[in-house]
Amino acid sequence: MVASTADTQEILMEIRNVDKAFGGVKAVDDVSMDLRAGIITTLVGPNGAGKTTLFNLITGELLKDSGSIKWLGNPINKIKPYQAARAGILRTFQDLRLFNEMSVEDNILTSVEDNSVPVPLTKSQRTARREKVEYALNRAGLFTKRKIRAKDLAYAERKFLSMARVMATDARLWLLDEPASGLDPNSYEKFLEILREEVKQGVTVCIIEHNLDIVIGISDRIAFLDRGKLLADGEPQSVLNDPELRAIYFGERT
Amino acid sequence: MEAYLLNLVILISIYSILGVTLNFIMGYAGIYSLAHAVFFGVGAYAGTFMAMHVNASIFVTLPVAMAAGAILSLILALPALRVRGEYFVAASLGLQVLAVTIFSEWKSVTGGIGGLIGIPPLDVAGFEVFKPSQFIFVTVGALIIILFIINRLVHSSFGRSLRAIRDSESAAAAFGKNVPLIKTISVVISSALTAVAGVLYASYLSFINVESFKLDTSVLIMAMVIIGGTGTQAGPIVGAALLLLLPSLISYLDFLPQTEIGSIQQIIYGLGMALLMIYRPGGIVGRKKQSETGKE
Repeated sequence: MVASTADTQEILMEIRNVDKAFGGVKAVDDVSMDLRAGIITTLVGPNGAGKTTLFNLITGELLKDSGSIKWLGNPINKIKPYQAARAGILRTFQDLRLFNEMSVEDNILTSVEDNSVPVPLTKSQRTARREKVEYALNRAGLFTKRKIRAKDLAYAERKFLSMARVMATDARLWLLDEPASGLDPNSYEKFLEILREEVKQGVTVCIIEHNLDIVIGISDRIAFLDRGKLLADGEPQSVLNDPELRAIYFGERT
Repeated sequence: MEAYLLNLVILISIYSILGVTLNFIMGYAGIYSLAHAVFFGVGAYAGTFMAMHVNASIFVTLPVAMAAGAILSLILALPALRVRGEYFVAASLGLQVLAVTIFSEWKSVTGGIGGLIGIPPLDVAGFEVFKPSQFIFVTVGALIIILFIINRLVHSSFGRSLRAIRDSESAAAAFGKNVPLIKTISVVISSALTAVAGVLYASYLSFINVESFKLDTSVLIMAMVIIGGTGTQAGPIVGAALLLLLPSLISYLDFLPQTEIGSIQQIIYGLGMALLMIYRPGGIVGRKKQSETGKE
């Protein structure tokens, strides 16, 4: 693998020898990789490759069978999802999991709040919170729809709301599970633009994506998973041009 | 007639407290409890015990009853809220069955099946409240205070967390919500406030027995919430008023055979509830129609 700019960034997350089996099936098999600051790492691979499972293991939604994960140098092996969120690791879900009965605005607002019991906020804290919500509403193009219930939004709007929930927070790492799937070309152009801007402002992204145009368009680094194994992890060109990987990827598709 | 109306309003206020406190966990957190009458009963027995043996001041009876309700709910919530929603329903049903046995058997505190008589009137800062015309202010006042507390909670970050958990537990956790803790707190708050209704009920009637705190009551309270409108502010009160007024309204219809009034009432209840759920699933106060778009 050729050393690139993507190799010189600070390591935010260190994943080492992580295993997870469901019954006899190894969903994640001895995966080791780093997530580096300020870049977009794309997880690529056929369905069932273990990409979402890897997200679930990182955020503590699932428990690892073995292996270790470090976040900012500290082990987070026993972390629970809410603790991961508070530590600055946020994720989206493939099936969105919006707070359907709540307004668009409240969806974002509650995502910014990570306290369990009500704590009185100072005026400046309240203003800051409001600004974050408005920022995300505007970025996602949902400001005029902020009072509408999430379940009443159109499909693309729902996907943008899922992003807006993450965008409003101060999280350092975003784990995005197929955020662009099913979007029309216009919407995904807009989505890519948002993503690039956020990364420019210092956010680190790990994204699961199937659309190769998007993969090529945004990735600083690509990790290729197949049947739980990490087959390649490096610069986009070298991974995508590997004939063996291409065969696996497109072989599954056709 | 006046006494009759006063009595109705007092009972409606007490049942409204029960409905509002159940709605807090059911409508906002999505926690379905079939043990609400248990906390009603615990409040009644604990308050009565204090009033009869220690001090009848509401500054003694209410805090003790609320604490008893809170502690008991913790015993239910701690194991049951770590698992999925259906298990809580089952666990609460178990608690309800268990509690009825205890209420019937623990004679030194509950008076057994016969219950307790001669419960002292409410002592509000040295003033004994026993006349219905005075008692009505206490119950309506308590309802207003409890509505205020719950309204504040629902519109705080805590209320948003509850609704987020109801809509998607995993997403709520992914955004930093400590789901078991938040659910537990909501059940504890709900149970403590429910116990207030128990204290009021016991001293108003000056007599209680296990009959008031059985599964029927838990189901009745749930019906009040659902019929009125789950997750709405006014719904549980409308539901409580309707279900308590209905029997009297039906008895005014004198073309009905008076000997069959009980079964006619049951038929009207059942039919009304079924029709309501078909045509207005959000309840009387709730939204007219559930939106069909964007279901996951």
